[in-house]
This record gives sequence, structure tokens and C-alpha cells, in this order.
Amino acid sequence: MRSPALAIGWEFRRRHRWGLIAVAGYLFVVAMIRFLILEPGEPVLVDSIRFAALVSVPLTATFVYLLAVFSFGFAGDLAARHSMYPARMFTLPVTNAALVGWPMLYGTAAVTILWLAARLFAVWPSGIEIPVIWPALLAAALLAWTQALTWMPYGLPGIRLIVAVLCLAALDTVVLVAIHFKAGEPRMVAILAPQVPLAYLVARFAVARARRGDVPDWRGRSARSGEITNVQPRPRPPDHFASPGRAQTWFEWRWHGRSLPTLVGLLLPFELALLWLAKDAAAFVFEILFLVLITPPFMAAFTGWTVSQPNAQAHDSYGVPPFIATRPLTSAELIAAKLKMAMWSSLAAWLLVVVALPLALAWSGTWSVVTERARRMNDAIGTLRAATVVLLILAGFIVATWKQLVQSLHIGLTGRAWIVRGTVLLTLTLLILLGPIVEWISDSPSVQRALWNALPLILAGLVGLKMSAAAWIATRLDRRRLLGDRALLVGAACWVLAVLALYGVLVWFFSTPFIARYVLALIAILAVPLARISAAPLALAWNRHR
Amino acid sequence: MSESVISVSALTRRFGAKTALDSVSVSLPRGAVYGLVGANGAGKTTLIRHILGLLRAERGSVRVFGLDPVADPVAVLSRIGYLSEENDLPGWMRVDELIRYTRAFYPKWDDVYAEELRQAFALDPAVKIKDLSRGQKARAGLLIALAHRPELLVLDEPSSGLDPIVRRDILGAVIRTIADEGRTVLFSSHLLDEVEEVADHVTMIDHGRIVLSAPLDAIKESHRSLNEAFIAHVGS
Repeated sequence: MRSPALAIGWEFRRRHRWGLIAVAGYLFVVAMIRFLILEPGEPVLVDSIRFAALVSVPLTATFVYLLAVFSFGFAGDLAARHSMYPARMFTLPVTNAALVGWPMLYGTAAVTILWLAARLFAVWPSGIEIPVIWPALLAAALLAWTQALTWMPYGLPGIRLIVAVLCLAALDTVVLVAIHFKAGEPRMVAILAPQVPLAYLVARFAVARARRGDVPDWRGRSARSGEITNVQPRPRPPDHFASPGRAQTWFEWRWHGRSLPTLVGLLLPFELALLWLAKDAAAFVFEILFLVLITPPFMAAFTGWTVSQPNAQAHDSYGVPPFIATRPLTSAELIAAKLKMAMWSSLAAWLLVVVALPLALAWSGTWSVVTERARRMNDAIGTLRAATVVLLILAGFIVATWKQLVQSLHIGLTGRAWIVRGTVLLTLTLLILLGPIVEWISDSPSVQRALWNALPLILAGLVGLKMSAAAWIATRLDRRRLLGDRALLVGAACWVLAVLALYGVLVWFFSTPFIARYVLALIAILAVPLARISAAPLALAWNRHR
Repeated sequence: MSESVISVSALTRRFGAKTALDSVSVSLPRGAVYGLVGANGAGKTTLIRHILGLLRAERGSVRVFGLDPVADPVAVLSRIGYLSEENDLPGWMRVDELIRYTRAFYPKWDDVYAEELRQAFALDPAVKIKDLSRGQKARAGLLIALAHRPELLVLDEPSSGLDPIVRRDILGAVIRTIADEGRTVLFSSHLLDEVEEVADHVTMIDHGRIVLSAPLDAIKESHRSLNEAFIAHVGS
């Protein structure tokens, strides 16, 4: 390997080989569906759900993954002032042009191939003209700008994220406006083609600056002016923490807790701005409301992975760092701190939503659309029931957010790369299979009938599986003395209370003879988390005491 | 000098095909400084990680203060001060936050002593850990390892790659710790001069096996220096 180009390429390939193999596997599967399952020349009728499950969601996830890979996003700190370009590469005997050019070339080539492969091999709805060239150029431009903006050193922590989101959103907006005005392929190419060389020049400037250690520092300036420090005093830990558990919760909050509220806070303005476009379209207003409400749980699914990663900054990102592992706390106490942090993080994210949403509805003039729908619901089911439904939906979303943050703890905290990567691969596989399965069920009334008849049996089987897993985990927790008898009993009692409460709500809400009460009980048992959260202390102990 | 602070018996550990520790037995009585010396990759850190409970004894047993550090981490770790070679203090914390956070875990934390150490080490409380130099990071790690006056101080290659002034601070910390009666220090290093300066007892480890374990005076009687003993038992 005598060329820097080969060496840089080899590093991407070697480090992310499993992810890249998964991407190739996904493209292979969609190609197989297209060429082996569907008849040649047959018109393809794909509804939006199936299309989303099979193509758009996996394609978007793959694109985001490639953005992270080729901008060195997995190794850097997005919120830091310093460049995210790996500093170890600055001492290589190569020019800035090579340091920037090769990763940009590999990245833009990868996303272009991804688009072209998806365009040629995936199942697209019939009757829609899907362009070939400009989406590939858009993907390349987004990747190149992501690289340029993440490799740039900034004067304040956190500025990188804001600048990157605003610039990429601006590029997206330009493209959306062009689509709105029905710009043809040549015009789109004319808009997008100059983006990559422009981003290259910016990235080269950024890397040159980072390489000579030129990192601006505006913190002193803002402190001197007294604006930021006075208006937003830095949160300080209390002089004395009441207990080690509280100290650890503070640690977790400072380490992970602010990510979710920050992400939600960054997305909300863009989502709520759509309300100004939807003034008279009630359906669109409710679609935007739904988008806003699913933002915290959706973003929590992403930040949940970082919460479950015990050692995000170190070389061995899966092992527990000695600083944490040698805290005189039990593994269960370390997990309890994470669970509490997740609760505060979810509440903070939802506080933003609960404050911003009514303000945006009022200022955009769409408040009346919502109140009109609320009035109709009030007339239909009564005030008490309507208010309870709204509160329950809100509580459900908050709990779902918390659940998303903590439900992968038992995977990430094991510290075993093969478990983490295997889970990601399994999830992607299930996501790919979801489309054909949904299609099969929706196309076949006999399957639907069979499933409906077997539903109690399926639910009972799942409950049996869940309770067996929980019993096994409880036995291990007890044997390894990770949880005391009292903690196990209190935990079990809390879980039973939560199940009973949910069952009560379900019975009250679905008072219909078509659904038997024992089915509702089974649903309540499945909905309240038990086995996966209980497994988190076991996973951490397995990692902490290898 | 009767009660063992650390008692390791027939400890064997393998990482794949490599045997990192091969039937190691060590007993460290209370109130002395133990130097653990060996070449890089000899097994020093693996032994220390077993003592801290970061590795589970696959074969053999490890007891610290008579307890299993894996089964009872709180009781063991609350009596240990540990400074690792990795120095993985969280970069986002300020020095004062690190002190406040760490003191919550140790009931015997001594605020006066912590402040004394902070001033002696010239650590600015408002500075973030990530903005400290390597030597200052080592000093910050030493501060939080010492300020709760641990019964057992474990230093894993603490002065590796540091300048002589920081190394002097670390050796000073070892001397201060043993000045408190009944406290024990386990000091791992490949810098033999350092170990010779402070250790009462030296254990040499090579390819996962203990090749020599004796009081420093006895080693000096049989060999002219620790360097010579190291070459004789481990090789150059």
C-alpha cells in the first residue's frame, strides 16, 4: 500500500467493513425482490407504507450512516470547538488537498453509487418519473458540505451543529423550491453541480486551519461582554451531592442528558415553521402536529444508542472506562443513574414541545383548527373523556421517549462488539423484511383472519417469552447479588402496578365486545418494559467485570 | 504486618491464545509500598485490573480486604485510590466539578487535604480537564485518588511519559500515603529507578509469571541493584 489514497481508502474499508457489508446486503436484497420476486415488465403498485419500509427509510438511514462514516463522525465530538477531522492524520506527509480530497472523493462516490443502485434496483412506484442524475448530485453535495462543516474549527462549543443544520437545511430548501417550480433535470444539475467543488474549497480551508492548530476561541470574548455568562449562567453541580447516586445522575445528565433536548430544540423551529404554510389545510396541520409529537421519541431512538455506549470517546468504545468502572457503586446503581437521566432528558425535551407548540399554533393562526377538532371530540365523547385521552396520549409519548432512550441499554452496555453489530444487522434485516410481510398480510384477507383468530395465542406466546426472560434475568440478578431482594420485590411491584394501570386505561378506552379483556391484559403486560431494562445491570456487570 | 490487604491465589487469565497471567499468587500485607515491575505486556496491568474487579478471576481467586472485588465492588472500591496509566478523566468536567463529583462517593473524603493538594499541584478549579496538559491531568487524577485517604493506593504506570516534576509529585504522594499508618501502596512501573526509590518490596513479573518477589533490601543484598536483578530474572 504505497499510495496515501489507497491507505485512506483502506482505513474507511477496514474500520467500517461490517456496516458497508450491511449496506451492500441491503442493496442485494432489494435487487433480489425487484428481479426475482416481481415479474419483468409487471407494473409495480407500491403504497406509501410499503415503499417507506422497503426503500425510503432504509435508504435514508444508509445515507446518514455514510455521512457519519466519511466525515469521521464516529470518532469526533460534534459539539466540540476543534475540527472533527482526526488530528492523528495531520502529521501524515501528505498535502491538505490529499487529506480533504480522498475522503471527499470516496464519500461522494459512495453516496452516488448508493443512489444509482437504489434507483436502478429498488422497487419504485409505477407512474412516477424518478430522476437519475440530480438526486445523486444532491447526495454528493450534502455529503461534501457535511464534511466541510464538520471539519471546520469553531469559536464556541455547539456552534458546529447549528451551522451544519442551517446550511444543510438551506441547501434542501433550495432544492425543494426548485422542485416546487418544476425545474428540469438540467437546471437542477446546474444548481447542484458547483456545490461539491465549493464544499471542497471550504473543507480544504477548514483542514488547513485545523492542521496548523488555528482554533478560534470566542469564549473569552463572550465572557468579557458579560452577555452569555449573565443571561445563561453555566449549570454548576451542587456544593455537596446528597448521595453517590445523585452525583452519578448529575454525571450522566452532563454527559448524555442534554443531547435529546438539544436535538429536539434544533428540529422544532423547522417543523413548526411549516404551520405557517398550512393555515387553511386542517389535514396538513394535524400531519405537522403528528410530526412534532413523534420527534422526541424518534430522536430518542438515535440518542439512546449513545446513552448505551459506555465509552464514546475512547478507542475501545464498547468497554467501560476505568474512571466509571472504579466508581464505588454497584452496577444497578450505575444503571439507575442512567434511567433517571433518561427521565429528565425526556421531560426536558417534552417541555420544549409543550411550550413551543401552543405558541406556534397561536402565532401561525392555526390554533382555531386544533380547537375546532377538540370541540368536536368533546361533543362526541364528553369533556372528561376527551381531556383524559389527550393527557394519556401526551403521557404515552413521554413514556415512549423515555423507553426509546433506555431500551437498548442492555445491548450497548454488554461491551461486546459482536452483540451490538449483530443487533444492528438484525434490526436492518427486520426493517427490510417488514415491507414484504406487510404487503403479504394486507393483500390476503385469509391471512388477516387467521392472524386475528390467533392473536390471543400469539400475544400469550410473547407474554410467556417475556416473563420467562424476566424470570431468568431476576434469577441472575439475585445470584450475582446485583440487586437485593428488596429492590427486586419493589421493582416487581412497580411493574405490576404499571401493568394494572395501563390495563385499566385500555379497558376504559376500548370498551367493546370485539376485544376480550384478557387480550387487553396481555397487551398491557407486553407494553410495560420489564425484561430489557432489568437486563441492563447484568449487561453492565458483564462488561465492567470482564 | 499480618493481615493481607491483597491476596491473589493461583490466578490464571487468558486472552484468546495468549496467557496474560499464569498461576500468579501474591499476598500484600498492610502498611508497605509494593513495587510491581515488568516489561511492557508482562501482565502488570492485567493483575491490577483483577485487583480492582475490572477483570473476573477465570481461574484462581482474588481477595482485597478479604472481599471479592467483583462480588462486592462498593466495599472494595470505596477503600481504594486508583490512578491509571490511561488517565481517562472526563474531558468535559472542570477541575472543581471533578472534585465535587468524586467526593460524593467517599465518606472519608478530606476537603482540607483535597484543597491542599489542589494548590500544591497548581490546578485551576475553573479549567476543563481536556484543556489540562498531560502532567496536570495526572495530578488531577492523583488528587482524586488521594483525597479520601484510601487504605490502598493503586498506581498503574502513573509516571509513564511524564516529566520529572510530575514524577516527583507522584513519588511524593506515595511517601505521603505511607506516612499515614497502616496504608498500603501498590505501584506498578517499568521505571526501575522510581520503584527502587520508594518500594519496600518488589515483585517482578514476566510473561504472566512471577519471577521474583522479595523485600528490596534482600534483592539489593543478592544483586547490586534492582536493574541487575531485573536483567538476571527477566532479561535485557
